Amino acid sequence: MTTMLKAEGLTKQFVLHHQDSVTLPVFAEVSFSVDQSEAVILHGPSGVGKSTLLRILYGNYRPSKGHVHIRHGQDFIDIVTATPRRVLEARRKSIGFVSQFLRVIPRVKTIEIVKDPMLARGVSDAEATHRARDMLARLNLPERLWTLAPSTFSGGEQQRVNIARSFVDPSPILLLDEPTASLDAANRDVVVELIAEARQRGSAIIGIFHDEAVRDRVATRRLDLTTYKAAA
Amino acid sequence: MRESSTPVIADPDPILIAKNVTKHYGERIGCEDVSFSLWPGEVLGIVGESGSGKSTLLRCLAGIDRPTSGEILFRHEGEPISLFNIPEPTRRKLMRTEWGIVHQNPRDGLRMDVSAGGNVGERLMDRGDRHYGKIRRSAMEWLTRVEINEDRIDDRPRQFSGGMQQRLQIARVLVPEPRLVFMDEPTGGLDVSVQARLLDLLRVLVRDLGIAAVIVTHDLAVARLLTDRLMVMKGGYVVEEGLTDQVLDDPHHAYTQLLTSAVLAA
Repeated sequence: MTTMLKAEGLTKQFVLHHQDSVTLPVFAEVSFSVDQSEAVILHGPSGVGKSTLLRILYGNYRPSKGHVHIRHGQDFIDIVTATPRRVLEARRKSIGFVSQFLRVIPRVKTIEIVKDPMLARGVSDAEATHRARDMLARLNLPERLWTLAPSTFSGGEQQRVNIARSFVDPSPILLLDEPTASLDAANRDVVVELIAEARQRGSAIIGIFHDEAVRDRVATRRLDLTTYKAAA
Repeated sequence: MRESSTPVIADPDPILIAKNVTKHYGERIGCEDVSFSLWPGEVLGIVGESGSGKSTLLRCLAGIDRPTSGEILFRHEGEPISLFNIPEPTRRKLMRTEWGIVHQNPRDGLRMDVSAGGNVGERLMDRGDRHYGKIRRSAMEWLTRVEINEDRIDDRPRQFSGGMQQRLQIARVLVPEPRLVFMDEPTGGLDVSVQARLLDLLRVLVRDLGIAAVIVTHDLAVARLLTDRLMVMKGGYVVEEGLTDQVLDDPHHAYTQLLTSAVLAA
């Protein structure tokens, strides 16, 4: 099996300098690896550090200790020690992060938001437009919204724009933080299908899902973070 | 699996290298021992409160003020040249053709008594263009690109609103197709709605033209939107640096934590 991501000894504590310099230990010595086409679900009660771990894998948070090797083409990049430009390069091609929140950029149209990652990877404009339209339709976003900027959309609509953007050309490694959180049943089903299709194409998935039913349909494996809980 | 990160793409050379850049004003520290490299297409943000040394640093980097010590290297025709070890006229020529400076106050970057078209066209003539019709056409294209209506081409900047003046300044700076652009609080002093338009414009231009940029701002939202990397300055020192989202979402230094927690969510 092809290894896509390997986490080694990840340890995280937050130091809050302005709140009596309190140190909040989150987890310690988390190690695991994920192969192509696997879907690993992070498990454990609220506060165990699921989101924190996911953000470390993406290079958004810096671990206090440990490494994250991710497959980037034929090579591996350690997202913890790589230069910022290398991390950005990996995010463009190899690793994607899907949260329930869309970071809205003023004035940018929905269709452009969905096309953007494809254009960055060198897909032609015509092809990107075609695929973006298909994906937005599949997620039941009304066509009249496609040429509008999503700042005024509802939470669920913004979330679907975000999902369309992330799944229209899924990264080889996909990190999912509650992507179905505020969706209705029909759209939730679409997301479950999209995840399955991404896996069939070889993407490795690491995700957080609170919805038990969704979790059972998506997961090939669970990683219980409770065992890594750092001593406070 | 290899233990260390190995380069997967050939790294081009950095376009700008700052080595231990230090600027003192008598006893007072402007900026102290700042080092970094900037690559083509990369946008570096410098954030910090007033007096943190960010503008001082920018003035050194842009060749306006000579640092007290340290070196600034700019890659020109494949060779790194040391900015303050070359004759003044050569430096001035580089400043005109290879990089651009967007000032916070458009009045500092525009010729207020020259028409909008003239402000843009002048830069094309600096570059060697001589054909009047071509220059006017090109100026027109740039005005459209920064969303200034073509029928304003013969108006003077003082007849423009603040937001329009700032867009005109940006056109004037970008016309010669610089490889490196410095911006000092480019959205400072503008209404929020005008800011959004300008930010979107800057974002698209920087991406489409693939230029490298250094942006000084005290606005963390501006930094998040426009920059790839961030340096946080306090009292003349860089206290934290890294990927922009890393620094803003998981700040480690006490001062960065103070900055990010002081922002009101809109």
